[in-house]
Amino acid sequence: MAEDLYSVLGVAKTASAADITKAYRKLAKKLHPDLNPGDKTAEERFKKIAAAYGIIGDEDKRKRYDAGEIDASGQETPQQRYYREYAGGEDGARYRSARGYEDIGEFSDLFGDLFGRGGAGRGGGARFSMRGQDAQYRLEVEFLDAVNGTKTRITLPDGETLDVTIPPGVSDGQVLRLKGKGMKGMGEGGPGDALVEIGVRPHPVFKREGNDIVVELPITLDEAVLGGKVEVPTISGRVSATVPQGANTGQILRLKGRGIKTRSGTGDQLVKLSVMMPEKIDDDLKSFAETWRQGHAYDPRRKLKEQA
Amino acid sequence: MLTEKELLARVGTLTVTRLRVWVQQGWIKPADLAAPSYSEADLARAALICNLEDELGFSEEDVPVLLNLIDQIHGLRAELRGLLAALDELPEDVRGVIRLRITETIERGRR
Repeated sequence: MAEDLYSVLGVAKTASAADITKAYRKLAKKLHPDLNPGDKTAEERFKKIAAAYGIIGDEDKRKRYDAGEIDASGQETPQQRYYREYAGGEDGARYRSARGYEDIGEFSDLFGDLFGRGGAGRGGGARFSMRGQDAQYRLEVEFLDAVNGTKTRITLPDGETLDVTIPPGVSDGQVLRLKGKGMKGMGEGGPGDALVEIGVRPHPVFKREGNDIVVELPITLDEAVLGGKVEVPTISGRVSATVPQGANTGQILRLKGRGIKTRSGTGDQLVKLSVMMPEKIDDDLKSFAETWRQGHAYDPRRKLKEQA
Repeated sequence: MLTEKELLARVGTLTVTRLRVWVQQGWIKPADLAAPSYSEADLARAALICNLEDELGFSEEDVPVLLNLIDQIHGLRAELRGLLAALDELPEDVRGVIRLRITETIERGRR
């Protein structure tokens, strides 16, 4: 059973043609799909009242409907393509107006930021803000620069430069964070940080152990026997060190405070002695050794024999 | 694209005089004014204007007001769609921040 067409339009069966038109227009103005582009239900409801008006709004059809000759569903209005179906597409673009939000600072700023348009000079509002991304770099430094600290400059792929202060004692693989030197942020979001990974090149003489510097120092046979002053390279230049009498290979001299100075403390330099025979064993040394071992035999391998 | 004749044939109550007045008023904007050709959108727009005047009883003075408002709504809706499509491509945490900011702004506006 179809709905009564008079009740669809909300009028009495006895209503005049003018009243029916008036009622229809009042409903249609409220429900017309093009006046409600975002409302999906409006179209269905509008179709109903349009169909009802199509019959009882027409004097001849109204008579036949009242007489029961045609029923409420008998009249199908042809499918209308509403303007709203085109207005959002490419074809409708030239009719669209930007005046709907020109005065709303917040919105045009928002759109302006996102679509790269206008919006300049307006304060406040909901700006889109995002912190910039961190940028990652790798920097190779010389051993002594890493130990003593230095200032250097990186040239970035885009041609810009980045000044980097290498703190004393930076270690291989350490990452320096340079605040605000990364990618630019959006809106009020600040820039990201630059993360610089430090690579320390090895040094032929100095080795690092924590904050200590280890150096292997060759000494002569006579220096080992008699002791004496020797010159030792350190990370801050040459210093004089005293080799004790009877120094041996593997013995370690500790030079206090000659290591790496960091905020967490200052290391020492460890000097590993290594007794070197002369390149050529001459007759003097040979005859001395022969005479000497007559009465001074010693066994450096005693422990070895005990243990293995 | 449609010629003027084809357009008139497809919109029942439209006459050539009315159509030309609308084009002159800028309510309808055919692709080429010298040899007007009309798109499906123009057709639907012409049908809408007929509808507004003939069915709904709006006067000729009402129509530009209505069209202006309708065009503004579709302008806004298009911007909003673009904005939402752009937001859709951002990572979830960024969308979260934006959602929060928008809510905060709307709340501020209410106070």
